[in-house]
Amino acid sequence: MSALVLSSSLVLMLLLRQRIVIMLMLAAGFSYLVWGDGKLGYVVLDTWAAADQEVLLSIPLFILAGNIMSRGSIARRLISIMREAMNPIPGGLAIATVLSCAFFAAISGSSTVTLIAVGSVMYPALIDAGYSKKFALGALCAAGTLGIIVPPSIPLILYGVMTETSIADLFKAGIGPAILLTSLFVIYSMAMNWNKERAPFNFAALVDALKNGVFALFMPVVILGGIYAGWFTATESAAVAVFYAVLVELLIHRDMTLTELKETSLETATMMGSLFPLLMMALSINTFMAYEQIPAALVGWMTELVSDPVSFLLITMVLLLAVGCFMDIGSAILIISPLLMPLALSQGVDPVHFGVIMITNLEIGYLTPPLGLNLIVAMTAFKEDFWLIAKSVVPFLVLMIIGLLIVTFTPSLSLFLVK
Amino acid sequence: MEFARAFLKVVSKAERTITLLAFAIMTLVIIADVFSRKITGVGIAGAPRIGVFAMIATAFVSFGLASDARRHLRPKFADAWFPAHWDGAITRVQELLTAAFCLVFAIVAVGVVQETYELGEATRMLRIPVWPMQAIIPLVFFIASIRHSIFGLIPELRPVLDDAEGLDAIPSSVTEGAEGEKA
Repeated sequence: MSALVLSSSLVLMLLLRQRIVIMLMLAAGFSYLVWGDGKLGYVVLDTWAAADQEVLLSIPLFILAGNIMSRGSIARRLISIMREAMNPIPGGLAIATVLSCAFFAAISGSSTVTLIAVGSVMYPALIDAGYSKKFALGALCAAGTLGIIVPPSIPLILYGVMTETSIADLFKAGIGPAILLTSLFVIYSMAMNWNKERAPFNFAALVDALKNGVFALFMPVVILGGIYAGWFTATESAAVAVFYAVLVELLIHRDMTLTELKETSLETATMMGSLFPLLMMALSINTFMAYEQIPAALVGWMTELVSDPVSFLLITMVLLLAVGCFMDIGSAILIISPLLMPLALSQGVDPVHFGVIMITNLEIGYLTPPLGLNLIVAMTAFKEDFWLIAKSVVPFLVLMIIGLLIVTFTPSLSLFLVK
Repeated sequence: MEFARAFLKVVSKAERTITLLAFAIMTLVIIADVFSRKITGVGIAGAPRIGVFAMIATAFVSFGLASDARRHLRPKFADAWFPAHWDGAITRVQELLTAAFCLVFAIVAVGVVQETYELGEATRMLRIPVWPMQAIIPLVFFIASIRHSIFGLIPELRPVLDDAEGLDAIPSSVTEGAEGEKA
């Protein structure tokens, strides 16, 4: 009966267009009042405990580093290198688009930022070079999603925080699937544009582009190399990323002023203001569930229904694909990962691998209507029809589902750097 | 109405200043700590704690900034289930409900802070009392309650944005920049 009351209240809140943080507040308060000790104070205490964690420091720092780099000229410089390097290859500009997205994703950590930063330069360039609108939009939207699987990825950090999994290991595990998805996009781009006119290779122009973009290229090396070599923890690498971004944009490229840095910091803080309360409420519910042994009960119930890891992973994939259509990735991770994690463990799935599966799965949600964020962003940024964009991503969705299946059923692809 | 407008303006300005300050402290302290540890082998004592407290201050105070920028995430797929002419009324209810929840949370938080004060809880490393830091929670949610009450009662003061809700992952600076380049 109480569960029905809570569910009905949440549906009512949804109809009244309530914010997710308020809905989580209701769920946490209701849980403690009705099923717990009846003390609402625990919600506040859990919120405090959730916020009081050093590991969370990496989130605002990575977002800040990404925002600084996005505001400066890093994207333009990276694109320039990729264009010069890919010119002589069939579909070179399309491949340059995909690789620019992958590389920029390793700097920004965000899919939408990647899509806008690269798309604003490459979309007009692709159209001018004779690529179809449909292909250009599809390639940009799909390659833009690489931002959440290529480390450093905010969703991977959120998963690590919610499930107490090593963020450094998750970052290492994201590399294999990111390379796989990038390769699939590159091969498709090449195949689809085999007959497009190719520009001659210009070695001098490439060297010039490399000179201009060397600091941009070095950024992922600093972050990922530092983590992989064991020099930095995730939080340390985030701090180094901010320092490096400020150094490059303010002093070397000189493409950013102090006023712009201030605005970027404020922008990042505003993002924290929407993300962190959500994270804290989700962790409060998580604490309640753990205290009440709900995940254990869920595992018991699920093991009766699912007897092997393959069925579990297939059911999880379908569930997450459906969730990705209606929920943003941050909320989905915060709410679903603590529930699915014990089930994954009970089926013998590695927690790091499961994190990568979850993120790859939810990444597809960026491209699925009605709430695919990259579709909405592309519609706004490129001023194109929503359904044209939705149709343009279909071939890439197929590629991503193929990639997801490979990632899911080939654990070594994710774990080869971890173990 | 003018008083409410002035109140919101002052609150927003204060929130921006505090957020910026706390964010700068957090970033600088953590960077200094990491470099100190890597260069001298010894970190700055208590730096991660200061960084975490600054982060908590930033996260809570910027709750208001997110409200002002309408960046709080909400599911939008059910928006079309009601007729469009109900929008005004639903928005009022939405804001007043948010205000009510923030108020309840603030009142409960006061009790928690009082308890922490009476217990004399202090941080492990810095040995400073925890309650002044915790006090930020009721304060922020009281202000949020007032802010959303104003939005509910005087909808003209509610920030008007094109379609920011649900697109919180996109820094507006980036969007503007991209559109600017295209233009």
